[in-house]
Amino acid sequence: MKLGITLAVVFGSLCSSLPLLAHHSFAAEYDSRKTITVHGIVQKVAWVNPHAYVWVDVKDENGKVVTYAFESLSPNALMRGGWTRNSLKAGDEVTVDGYLAKDGKPLADGSIHANSKLITLADGRKVFAGSSADNAEPTK
Amino acid sequence: MVALSFAQDQTGKFGPVGPGAPEQRKDKAPQGPAPKMPDGKPDLSGVWTPNNFFAMGQPSLTPWADALYKERRANLSKDDPEGHCLPAGVPRISPFPMKLVQTPALVIMLEEGNIHSYRQFFLDGRGHPKDLDPLWMGDSVAKWDGDTLVVDTIGFNDKTWLNGQGLPHSDQLHVIERYQRPDLGHLSVDITLDDPKAFTKPHSFNRTYTLLTDWEIHEYVCNEFNVDAEHLVGK
Repeated sequence: MKLGITLAVVFGSLCSSLPLLAHHSFAAEYDSRKTITVHGIVQKVAWVNPHAYVWVDVKDENGKVVTYAFESLSPNALMRGGWTRNSLKAGDEVTVDGYLAKDGKPLADGSIHANSKLITLADGRKVFAGSSADNAEPTK
Repeated sequence: MVALSFAQDQTGKFGPVGPGAPEQRKDKAPQGPAPKMPDGKPDLSGVWTPNNFFAMGQPSLTPWADALYKERRANLSKDDPEGHCLPAGVPRISPFPMKLVQTPALVIMLEEGNIHSYRQFFLDGRGHPKDLDPLWMGDSVAKWDGDTLVVDTIGFNDKTWLNGQGLPHSDQLHVIERYQRPDLGHLSVDITLDDPKAFTKPHSFNRTYTLLTDWEIHEYVCNEFNVDAEHLVGK
């Protein structure tokens, strides 16, 4: 499968949807209208609190690799959802659906800051589903 | 399979959803009579998961508290202490389980969420200290009223929020909790909040928990990688 970015920024009303939240307010950190879907290779997984993070290397249209850092749920929540620290590994080919951070600022390591709601492996298995935001409070 | 998440419903309340969420466990409560301590009192010990995350409802707020609440809502809860890995306070809960450990003179509550806070309910007849420092989790003394454990908590700071929406309280907050274990699998807590600075009248609600026999409380070290804090921008 060709690696590439599908970036869809949806400016629709999400008034009828239900935001999901983590230990922090989702709406204060991520923009529910800036949904993204990226396809790439897992660079690393951090099984840490308060949220697990998944870094994904993605080739853009010019072939340049950019890294996204996706916030997932907390390890205790992921564990009770049936996943472990080994459910997703460096080198795995994945498609990630998520949301971009509101402030548009990268994390300290330079990666693009986003929130994942679903990670799909190349064989179709879905892992780390149920993000801190399947839907979110519309930005006013 | 969907992992446990928090959700915000149409009215802006937050809570857990999904097959791993506590409400999915309600029907799986073990059956049987409530266990007893050697002294005949109910033994509240166990790992408990909250059933009704939104039970607190909305107290009637004073103008001071109402203004603060509206400001926090307008900021989309960006300054929630819990988002900065500070204690969530009392009686706020996380959607994660808590563990009660009971001895004849002391009941200990260990929180999985709420940044691993603990509470001590002293059952040895002591009263509150006369000169309390403002505390994140308050000072709790307890006594038995029949089979009900009555926990009285004061001595709070005013830094914690009563829920993720930013419901305020002051340092005059007084929390009375009445814990009952009607059977093996259930815990029921009647909670009354009194705060003359924040509420126009005392506010009461009931919260229930289900006993978990196949889960332990899990480590949750909030400050391990809290990169969120500097990206909480609000509007």
